[in-house]
Amino acid sequence: MLSSLVVGLAIGSAYSLLAVAVVLVYSGTKVLSLAVGEIGAFGLYAALWWHDHGLLGVRPPVFVSALVAMVLGGLLGLVVERLVMRPLLGRPALDGLVATLAVALFLALLELKLYGLDPFPAPSPVGDGSVQVAGATLTVTELTLLALAAVVALGLWLFLTRTSFGLATRATTSDPVVARLLGVPVNRVYVFAWGVSGLLAGAAAALLANVNGSLTPFSLTSALLSALAGAVIGGLDSLGGAVVGSLLVGIVNGVVGSRVDPTTSAGIVFVAVLLTLLVRPRGLFGSTRVAA
Amino acid sequence: MSRRELPGRLGGLALLLLALVAPSFMNVPQTAVVTTATCVALVALGLDVLVGSTGQLSLAHAALFGVGCFTALGLGTHGAPWAVAFAGAVAATAAASVVIGLPSLRIRGLQVAIASLAFQQFAQQVPAKWDAVKFVGRTFDPPRWLSGVTAQYYLGVALVVAVLAVLAGLRRTRAGRSLLCVRDVEQRAVAFGVAPGTAKLFAYGVSGAITGLGGALFALQQTSVSDIQPFILRESLLLVAIVVVGGARSPVGILLAAFATKALPGLLAPHVGDGVALWIPVGLALVLVLSVVGQPEGIGGVLRDVGARLVPREPPDPRPAGTDPVVAAARARSLRLVPRPLTRRLPVPALLTARGVSVRYGGITALTELDLEVRRSEIVGLIGANGAGKSTFFNAVSGLAPTTGSIRFRDAELLTAAPASRSARGIARTFQDMGLVRAESVRENVLLAQGWMASYPAVTGMLGLGASVHTERELRRRADQALELFGLDHLAGERLGDLPYGTMRSVEIAAAVASGPDLLLLDEASAGLTPEEAHALGDRFRALRDELGLTLVVIEHHVPLIAATCDYCYCLESGALIAEGTPTEVTAQPRVVESFLGRGTLEPARTLSESAHVGTPT
Repeated sequence: MLSSLVVGLAIGSAYSLLAVAVVLVYSGTKVLSLAVGEIGAFGLYAALWWHDHGLLGVRPPVFVSALVAMVLGGLLGLVVERLVMRPLLGRPALDGLVATLAVALFLALLELKLYGLDPFPAPSPVGDGSVQVAGATLTVTELTLLALAAVVALGLWLFLTRTSFGLATRATTSDPVVARLLGVPVNRVYVFAWGVSGLLAGAAAALLANVNGSLTPFSLTSALLSALAGAVIGGLDSLGGAVVGSLLVGIVNGVVGSRVDPTTSAGIVFVAVLLTLLVRPRGLFGSTRVAA
Repeated sequence: MSRRELPGRLGGLALLLLALVAPSFMNVPQTAVVTTATCVALVALGLDVLVGSTGQLSLAHAALFGVGCFTALGLGTHGAPWAVAFAGAVAATAAASVVIGLPSLRIRGLQVAIASLAFQQFAQQVPAKWDAVKFVGRTFDPPRWLSGVTAQYYLGVALVVAVLAVLAGLRRTRAGRSLLCVRDVEQRAVAFGVAPGTAKLFAYGVSGAITGLGGALFALQQTSVSDIQPFILRESLLLVAIVVVGGARSPVGILLAAFATKALPGLLAPHVGDGVALWIPVGLALVLVLSVVGQPEGIGGVLRDVGARLVPREPPDPRPAGTDPVVAAARARSLRLVPRPLTRRLPVPALLTARGVSVRYGGITALTELDLEVRRSEIVGLIGANGAGKSTFFNAVSGLAPTTGSIRFRDAELLTAAPASRSARGIARTFQDMGLVRAESVRENVLLAQGWMASYPAVTGMLGLGASVHTERELRRRADQALELFGLDHLAGERLGDLPYGTMRSVEIAAAVASGPDLLLLDEASAGLTPEEAHALGDRFRALRDELGLTLVVIEHHVPLIAATCDYCYCLESGALIAEGTPTEVTAQPRVVESFLGRGTLEPARTLSESAHVGTPT
């Protein structure tokens, strides 16, 4: 029970990285991004391919390839922002969602075409050791996930509340037009949101692929679904809410998924999302604006 | 039928002919591939009811496809005849779809799509669980005449044609117009007597039913399903791609996109190899990205554009303002009427009485304890600076704002009545920034406003049965009559969004009048009009009262218009009533002048009616 709880927390931490990436983009641009998962996965595929095959005589170690995945994810986020999302500013929210769906689909199908359907082995960037924590065995990867999620959530919270660019981001969230009139560099906020979300997606992909055992097309989108479910339960525009919600979904998946079966845990998550949207549409910690 | 749609229609006809003769060019495996694609095409048409017509996104349609398929398989393996299996699949899938749509009752945001994602995640794992009890892999036993590949192919074609006919019926009738209204102007839908929640769940139900049909056909064709690949997340995303690339509300485009995605790789693979065929979905996804950014109307939009280019047409000639037949008639009869403006209020009974009406949004009070009376056959003016609470009062009357107090209309309490039922009680309104569907024709918009009169069940409308045919014909006649009255009959077939702004505002008033109201609420009818149009508006107000017997409440910033047309006037400031009386009395009050123009900016002798246009209409 305890070990499945801890593993669930670790998976939930990966979800929460993705959820933070989603909330960051949602806060900045009011776009619900379905592309986050595949942006990270695409970066990781390329990084792992480089690790396996080498390029120009260089074969980076696994740890570096995780960093490469993060950088590529961040760059891909920037490209998507510039080429796809910026032309859509001011268009209905549905268009934004469909556009990110299109990007996710394109990247995943391209992965499928380039790397095939066979699972891509995903070695752990932090080694294969394991540690005993309170009677439960945790791999180093899972431990890293827990730590990284905590650091990212805390760092982003400090950034948003303590820095002037964080203030600009929050101003853009509440009203992009007024923010622009007040001299807030709104475009830079958008670029930042997409770039950092890509970075986080790359990190989440590198760690989660190892926890899952391998990397396949759509697998990160599948994880993103759990993250989105968590974000909706916690509150789409609340960073803390999204993290808590994702951890909850991770724990349900970890505990129920391993002790009963994955179908039941997915069913519980579905019912939880349905009930949240029906009873408290803004989520546990979200603001009322989300429900409008 | 507008000429812009001609290429689409011809394309559809060509596609049908091709579909009918196709089996003679195809071998058995090829026919099977196309039949499978037909199943997916049905699901895509079902999804379009949500995406294209209602503006809702479902990311679970592959899972719903599975619900239909496994329901049909389950019933079929337990000995149910194929027709029963099909009906069961349709019913079960419709029910599942409605469950996914339930959150749309509470929220308008895209989180509803997340609920569908969670369903997809859950449902795609269920067959794996069933495997333990040997459910998957059971075989469906079709009747002999339906066991041939070609027979199943033709059943698929027949189902597609039937679904298209039903969807066309949906678009033509009340339910379809309600969905468009929810898609484009959801917050205003109640003003047309449309209950958005009911309309959305209806859309989810219809969408699910069509999807279930696709699933049942798939079950019949496969007879045994052990692979869940057609029902996973990837396929749900592909389905959205098919609908968007095909073009929302464009059946021909959607069918083309579905076959390009689902049949083409299978048909081409033997000739060009799997490697090349696999690029097709990648290409579709890329086209999807490009089309969302550049051509949001998809293949259907391209077809329409080609049509517009092939069949050029003259823009409709604008007629001079103020020559409506209804205005002319009113002028001719003006001698018989009570001379206006009045010096005191006519002693007639009240039509609308507001007592202690307050509107609060959280901590903000938009309207405080308003008392107001509108008497029969009056034109009542509602004035005040921006943010005074004028439109909020309209919203209270039409049920769009959280209201306390009492509003009585024709001696019945209005606030306890469902918002969507208020247009049937005889209240129509316009919105400050237009509450119509710009993408639809002028006539469709007027039909939309008459929604409450179409009392037939939605299903009879879709199937073109019984009372719906007669009612729709009658509504069309009424719509044309209303347009004629306002001199807009020559524009009936035009797309509303293509018309000049002033003409759109006229259409909005015509639509409100067509709904047969006693009370008409006009929110800044003069805003955005040219001076000539605004001047002609006074004649129109009077004509609406004198010729059509309507009672009017008008929100206006154009003071000369109020002075010339209103019988009685209320002035609001910060949500509270600060003055009432005849226009001359009200505009002479220092408090009213101050409210509009600020303190000390004017000579004391100057009154409001002398300053031509106050306040900024927004």
